[in-house]
Amino acid sequence: MVDSSQDVDRDVTSGHLSSLTRSIQSATSSFRNYLQDLHQAYLPLNEGAIADYIPELALAQPNWFGICTVTMDGQIVEVGNCDQLFTIQSISKAFVYGLALEDHGREYVNSKVSVEPTGEAFNAIVLDEATNRPYNPMVNAGAIATADLIQGNGATERIKRVLAMFQRYTGRELDVSVPVFLSERATGNRNRAIAYLMLNFGMVSDRIDETLDLYFQQCSLLVNARDLAMMAATLANKGINPVTGERALDERYVQDVISVMLTCGMYDYSGEWTYRVGIPAKSGVGGGITGVVPGQLGIGTFSPCLDAKGNSVRGIKVFERLSQDFGLHLFNAAPAERSLQDCLNSNGLDTW
Amino acid sequence: MPKVISIHSYRGGTGKSNMTANLATTLALQGHRVGVVDTDLPSPGIHNILGLDPDTHQATLNRYLWGETSIHDAAHDVSDRLSLDSGALYLVPSSVKPDDIARILKDGYDVRLLNDGFRRLVKDLELDYLFIDTHPGLSKETFLSIAISHVLLLILRPDKQDYQGTAVTIDVAKQLRVRDMKLIVNKAYRQLDPEALRQKVEETYDLKVAGVFPLSEEIVQLASEGVFCLKYPDHPVSHEFQKVAQHVS
Repeated sequence: MVDSSQDVDRDVTSGHLSSLTRSIQSATSSFRNYLQDLHQAYLPLNEGAIADYIPELALAQPNWFGICTVTMDGQIVEVGNCDQLFTIQSISKAFVYGLALEDHGREYVNSKVSVEPTGEAFNAIVLDEATNRPYNPMVNAGAIATADLIQGNGATERIKRVLAMFQRYTGRELDVSVPVFLSERATGNRNRAIAYLMLNFGMVSDRIDETLDLYFQQCSLLVNARDLAMMAATLANKGINPVTGERALDERYVQDVISVMLTCGMYDYSGEWTYRVGIPAKSGVGGGITGVVPGQLGIGTFSPCLDAKGNSVRGIKVFERLSQDFGLHLFNAAPAERSLQDCLNSNGLDTW
Repeated sequence: MPKVISIHSYRGGTGKSNMTANLATTLALQGHRVGVVDTDLPSPGIHNILGLDPDTHQATLNRYLWGETSIHDAAHDVSDRLSLDSGALYLVPSSVKPDDIARILKDGYDVRLLNDGFRRLVKDLELDYLFIDTHPGLSKETFLSIAISHVLLLILRPDKQDYQGTAVTIDVAKQLRVRDMKLIVNKAYRQLDPEALRQKVEETYDLKVAGVFPLSEEIVQLASEGVFCLKYPDHPVSHEFQKVAQHVS
């Protein structure tokens, strides 16, 4: 929002001029113009369908579309509906996995949840036959097993720990959508079946209802595209939120979380995603995608129309273009068409 | 490649809107497609000079910034009103309704929308030049206008307060890495030697002076009821507008 002239004059005289000019330069940078053009290009794309397995998700508008990026120096560049709240859904799985690693260490967590991609659907009632472990923390079985690992005395303390963890990533307090949570709980029999199957094999503790509530609540957290970009940027920045400077995840586990995102983060599309995009990412049926470009930036997109595999149609397009245009694929060896840093730093007039 | 030109002054009453209207018209008369955006949201006025009746247009910059209209629809073709026989001139006016002005002052707006709107306007109307008429002083929208300008024209009068304010504005513009900045001295007393004044100002600020305009009784008499260079095409002041236009084209 625009301050009054007096406010800005005061900023200038009190030495805040450089931060003000930085924010103006970010608002007018070539990169913002680039994102604006991407937004314009894909807004008319009317493919996919809004998730409607619970009524609350079906309330989303097909034209909602936000793109946000956060760089390692905390520069936020965003276009479109970046304030629109939606539920984080499966994106939460990657971050809760990080908390479980902090709580128990890599070896123990790995004994409960594998890190193998699976060709099965994300909600399949299936475990590794040899070890009885869920295949990875990004499918429902693995995410429930991960939620079970979150420490705390009782349901309240455990959810508080999860909320505090997300606050470190986003830099702001998040709320649970109670209607979504209640609907998820009311319709969550398949997840209940998965949990009991794992209990049968001794892979989770017997506090099933409490753990499922924790899982349903973590999926019902309300975020926006900016939050997703900030969370990804925090991972890209070795676990430190680039705006608040707060550590959200122990540096030892950042690589683990990003690795699982790369191999398993995009449901059944993960293999093709790695081939085409090559940016470790996690999507959710709320329409969000969070993507990590280590050492460079975090990307958050939101558009609720999903393809058959549950990924945001417009979100995939945006990631594909960003990866191609700036050479952001993890294994890219060819020179990029454009330099991301140059684009971020240059005045947008060249791209008019 | 389109060119964006911001006209700014630290203090009010320096003649920004007159300068904007005359430079835009001068370039349109040369056959160019020219847009003018009145970002002086708290005190709009250039619509008077360009002959746009505020009662006849509902689509304004305000409505664009509130998401109620496209920037394209808020751009009014004033070429016919000015009887231009070449080029084209579009104006995006700001609302003169007290309620709209109060709302923009109270609630503000997302300044990034201005940048997006300017780009859209240039593309949709295939403009050669976009002029931004600003609100005096330093505000976020002024910062933005300065940051996106190919050329920044700073107007000052021979007045101590103007001199000091212009120095502040130049500091800000340098931090915003403006590409090309020029000064215009306006309302100079006729007793002052224009060439000596030009030299003094150029030395003081180490910037080029694009024009020196005398305090003109004819402009005062016109009282914003039209574009001076159209009414008095052979007047020395109109020739000075042409010289400044050469500096920015």
